[in-house]
Amino acid sequence: MLLPKFEYHEPKTVQEACRIVGELGEKAKVLSGGTDLLVNMKKKLIQPEHVVSLSKIEDLKGIFRENGQVKIGACATAGEIAGSEVIKDTLADVAEAASVLGSPLIRNLATIAGNMTSARPAADLPPSLMAYGAKAKLVKASGERSVDLNDFFTGVGKTVMTPDEILTEIAVEIPQEPYGDHYIKLGVRQALEISLVNVAALILLDGPEGPIKEARIVLGSVAPTPIRALSAETVLAGQVPSDVLFERAGEAAANDSKPIDDFRGSAEYRRDMVGVLTKRALKTALDRATSR
Amino acid sequence: MDTYSVIPIRFTLNGDKVSIEAGAHETALTVIRERLSLKGTKEGCGMGECGACTILVDGKSVNACLMAAPQLEGRTVMTVEGLGREGKLHPLQEAFLEHHGVQCGFCTPGLLMSAQSLILETPRPTHKQVVEAISGNLCRCTGYQQIVDAIQYGADKTGGEE
Ligand SMILES: Cc1cc2nc3c(=O)[nH]c(=O)nc-3n(C[C@H](O)[C@H](O)[C@H](O)COP(=O)(O)OP(=O)(O)OC[C@H]3O[C@@H](n4cnc5c(N)ncnc54)[C@H](O)[C@@H]3O)c2cc1C
Ligand code: FES
Ligand code: FES
Repeated sequence: MLLPKFEYHEPKTVQEACRIVGELGEKAKVLSGGTDLLVNMKKKLIQPEHVVSLSKIEDLKGIFRENGQVKIGACATAGEIAGSEVIKDTLADVAEAASVLGSPLIRNLATIAGNMTSARPAADLPPSLMAYGAKAKLVKASGERSVDLNDFFTGVGKTVMTPDEILTEIAVEIPQEPYGDHYIKLGVRQALEISLVNVAALILLDGPEGPIKEARIVLGSVAPTPIRALSAETVLAGQVPSDVLFERAGEAAANDSKPIDDFRGSAEYRRDMVGVLTKRALKTALDRATSR
Repeated sequence: MDTYSVIPIRFTLNGDKVSIEAGAHETALTVIRERLSLKGTKEGCGMGECGACTILVDGKSVNACLMAAPQLEGRTVMTVEGLGREGKLHPLQEAFLEHHGVQCGFCTPGLLMSAQSLILETPRPTHKQVVEAISGNLCRCTGYQQIVDAIQYGADKTGGEE
């Protein structure tokens, strides 16, 4: 199966890539891992006249920890993220999410930038990154900006990015407080499955033994974009953690979700699962926070 | 339209240097299978879901149907043809035969490449690691059990040879 024809560009620097997408605008599509773009092109859902590959830009690769931050290059693959010692040490649930994305074959191609920019409601990497308040660095010829992922997604397949921008990096501030996280993906099958529900939980404690200072819960697949379960977060803030508290937070999260019925599962089942999985994710997050 | 550019691509394929001109609309799969006539790498779905097109790029297993041909530039590629030698099968291939891991055979090259990628990283994989490693490869004949057995057995034999 061939792709529709297009003109191919292979810039070696971010500046050059920005110049090309700046000039071509809507006519060009950026190619990162290709697992979303090439499928859409084969299905003739999109037929860009120009494709701008990022694979020759060394600056977009790699995962680093510096100055209390973790920086993930746009072209880091899900496989690299899942195996990274830096990520496993600091953002365990991001590694968990990356390790259940697609299949081993997809993970060796799929990149973090593509996972953000394609903006699928069920995408695996956004929920845990949103829980950490991760920021996307967007660069264009005339300047750059940094956008909190909580403000990044605007609808199914839609983000705040403009066609002349390139996502170059995802940066995460490592929390100062004792903290713990967990990501759970519920699908019908083990591999190659878009999830029915995905839940990321992050707990920040007030001191090692302390009550919960702040909790963040992000739900995927239950709305057009990943969403924060804000009323569940309110239930948890300032409280001493307990099973009863987590149960209540689960119920609040279920009410925060707006799932749909489709052939994969009913809205009612999904809402129930949000409750169950939120509670489960919080328990593991707490275990991780207290053992850190 | 013939105005589209043709791109020179150089890469290493099964140990040999290859230099070819490809259209950007070609995939790694069409270059390997149609242009270079290595027919072991199959096209099933063309969409990343079946694994029949699995190849190793720099030692990692990927879906060749989801790589644009120019992305092969400078890479080291291995297809199933690079696994054994003329007249001597690779231990993984022998294990597939002995353990009945092949029925119609359409999935076999892809599964062998996923298995090879696994044992490059994990020479003695557990049952769970094998199942995980082949989770992007569909087989419609065997029911997988024979394949998993074959890979574990083949891994043991591969390790034994080195
Ligand atoms: C079989 C299969 C299974 C899958 N399973 C899952 C799954 O379980 N979970 C999941 O989350 N996803 C899944 N996906 C979807 C996809 O693999 C992921 O979303 C992946 O992370 C996309 O990344 P990519 O690098 O391949 O993106 P690409 O296809 O290269 O790009 C995707 C989109 O983002 C744009 N883009 C990419 N990078 C940039 C950048 N740096 N700046 C600006 N724009 C950019 C592209 O122009 C394109 O529109 C699956 C896909 C397939 C084919
Ligand atoms: S042909 Fe590539 S995954 Fe099916
Ligand atoms: S042997 Fe027929 S598909 Fe696997």
